[in-house]
Amino acid sequence: MSDSYSFSLTTFSPSGQLKQVDHALAAVAQGTTSLGVKASNGVVIATEKKQPSPLVDDSMLEKVALICPTIGCVYSGMGPDFRQLVTAARKSAQAYWKMFNEYPPTRVMVGEIASIMQGATQKGGMRPYGCSLLVAGYDKTRGSSLYQVDPSGSYWAWKASAMGKNMVNAKTFLEKRYNEDISLEDAIHTSLLTLKEGFEGQMTEKTVDIGIIHIPSEWDTKNPPEALAGDKAGHLPGMPAFRKLSEEEIKDHLTL
Amino acid sequence: MSIMEYNGGSVVAMRGKKCVAIAGDLRLGNRNMSLAANFEKVFPITQKLYVGLPGLATDVLTLRDTFRFRTNMYKLKEGREIEPNTFAHLVSSTLYERRWSPYFVEPVVAGLDPNNSEPFIAATDLIGCLNFAKDFVVSGTASDKMFGMAESLWEPDLEAEDLFETVSQTLLNGVDRDALSGWGAVVHLITPEKIITRSLKSRMD
Amino acid sequence: MSFSPYTQNGGTILAIAGKDFCVVAGDTRQSEGFSIQSRYETKVWRLNEKATIAANGFAADCKQLVKRVKWRLETYKHAHNREMPLKSIARMVQTMLYGKRFFPFYSYVIIGGIDDDGTGAVYGFDPVGSYERETCRAAGAAQSLLQPFLDNQIYFRNQQPADPTNPPIPGTLPLDNVLAIVTDSFTGATERHIEVGDALEMYVVTNSNCDLGALQQITQSATKTDLEQVAREEAEFNGPKSCKTFKLLRQLKKD
Repeated sequence: MSDSYSFSLTTFSPSGQLKQVDHALAAVAQGTTSLGVKASNGVVIATEKKQPSPLVDDSMLEKVALICPTIGCVYSGMGPDFRQLVTAARKSAQAYWKMFNEYPPTRVMVGEIASIMQGATQKGGMRPYGCSLLVAGYDKTRGSSLYQVDPSGSYWAWKASAMGKNMVNAKTFLEKRYNEDISLEDAIHTSLLTLKEGFEGQMTEKTVDIGIIHIPSEWDTKNPPEALAGDKAGHLPGMPAFRKLSEEEIKDHLTL
Repeated sequence: MSIMEYNGGSVVAMRGKKCVAIAGDLRLGNRNMSLAANFEKVFPITQKLYVGLPGLATDVLTLRDTFRFRTNMYKLKEGREIEPNTFAHLVSSTLYERRWSPYFVEPVVAGLDPNNSEPFIAATDLIGCLNFAKDFVVSGTASDKMFGMAESLWEPDLEAEDLFETVSQTLLNGVDRDALSGWGAVVHLITPEKIITRSLKSRMD
Repeated sequence: MSFSPYTQNGGTILAIAGKDFCVVAGDTRQSEGFSIQSRYETKVWRLNEKATIAANGFAADCKQLVKRVKWRLETYKHAHNREMPLKSIARMVQTMLYGKRFFPFYSYVIIGGIDDDGTGAVYGFDPVGSYERETCRAAGAAQSLLQPFLDNQIYFRNQQPADPTNPPIPGTLPLDNVLAIVTDSFTGATERHIEVGDALEMYVVTNSNCDLGALQQITQSATKTDLEQVAREEAEFNGPKSCKTFKLLRQLKKD
């Protein structure tokens, strides 16, 4: 009888819990490890890209996704649920761009994603999303930032964090290694070292996925070089942008 | 006669050196009959940003409330004030949403960039086509008259008080030759330090 | 399709009176719809030593009207052995325009010149002859752009006099000031009105007392293409004291 509370989403258990949300969190905890680290001049997010079979064409696997030129994210948990969220987030970013001719600040984007995820805990006929997200972004008011969003729809900002299977160890590792003055290069290195702890199998450029935001030293947030009135305000050339590292770049970082 | 001329009214905005000015007349009419001489059509959006909404009076009030709603929501959601360029695009999108049943208003935006006090002005047509001018923008029933004035009076890098004089003369002499505009005017001068708002007396005919 | 006897040929004209001179100006673009028919078709004509006429609207009507005015002035000269005075030309033009009250000349006319008492005078007309003596007048495509500017600069509208006991009097600005206002008016109108541009003709009608210094200065600093004097003996700076009409040509933007 008490177990039945875990099936209907719209019903609280007598102890005040929504069991399906807890189960979703369990799905995240089983998922592959992903992590994010904020650096003095950017952010890095990374994850293990586990191949279910050696026969899979790994070029198709994508675990770090771009939402808009200034924001990207990575997940732990269920891949299909993540893709659904990325699609919704991309649409939301484009709707914002269409309205304001600039991409949403990271916090606003995270709020949108969280709202979608919260909706799934309340609406009829739905289940919570089976993944947690790490969202990295840059905007002119807050600079770079790193957020985590959970299936419940709650979200918060990190300096560095990890999610998924190896979360506890990875977080302990990061706590030891992290400081705020770390450069982006060092942050990427730290990320790879953290992933290496508890990595299943060989860590190569084909089995990790990395996304970064790099803020060039000459970039002045308050006085962007070409921030003139006009329709090119959305994303300026030379402006900090989110991008995924290529296999060659990852290889270079691994050999360091 | 176009619906844009139903109530009458005009707005002008100009860029100066680290300052902008926006001014509007005060007439509210019903075709040829003047009804009121206290109908302001320039509204504050933030501390350093104003919007002028000349056109059909009912749409002026509706849009004023729509923009207040949207900028308040923006402020709550983003935890910051909207910037002039972003607001201009919000105006544009808001108008284009009604592409096939438009608001009969041609807005003018004027403000200072909160980061570097760069002056910003823009104007759109009634369906939101943006015009980012580097000098001045005019709108409303006296727009052609004010184009003539502004084209001759305006010059680059005017200091605040000179800009005030230029924008005031442009508006006043423009609306004096327009039967549907006039009956007093209000000028807002936006500088990095403060906003100066002045009421102008003008011909009441 | 039915025959339509009128077209609008764009362009704009302007006249400003001074104490001892009068400037009558017009651009030289002639257009029909969005097509430019000519970049140099005059809208301003010298009538006699004291009168210059500008006509704008339907170019064919304007030309026909001016042709008839010139013919009437010629017969007047033969009959009376003198030039027709400015105020009489104005009244005659009103009669001619009203004479075609029910098939009007589509012409907005401005006459500028020197009145009997030697002061500069401007007469502005509507197409059916309603007229008025004024200090300044703009007409044509860019009338709405220019007239407020003239109100401000010539009639000093919305201006507080620096000395309230001695306010400026309209129609007393010196020639160099007036010429500057005319050129500024046309460059402004050229910028914002598609039917205005190409070139600007300024006729300066002067009485015998007029200080020609401003004109001489312009002549010296101008190149041959900028400036062209009316080919008449009166147009010499150093000729005998009399009313002289000078023609200044200035290029305007051609886009």
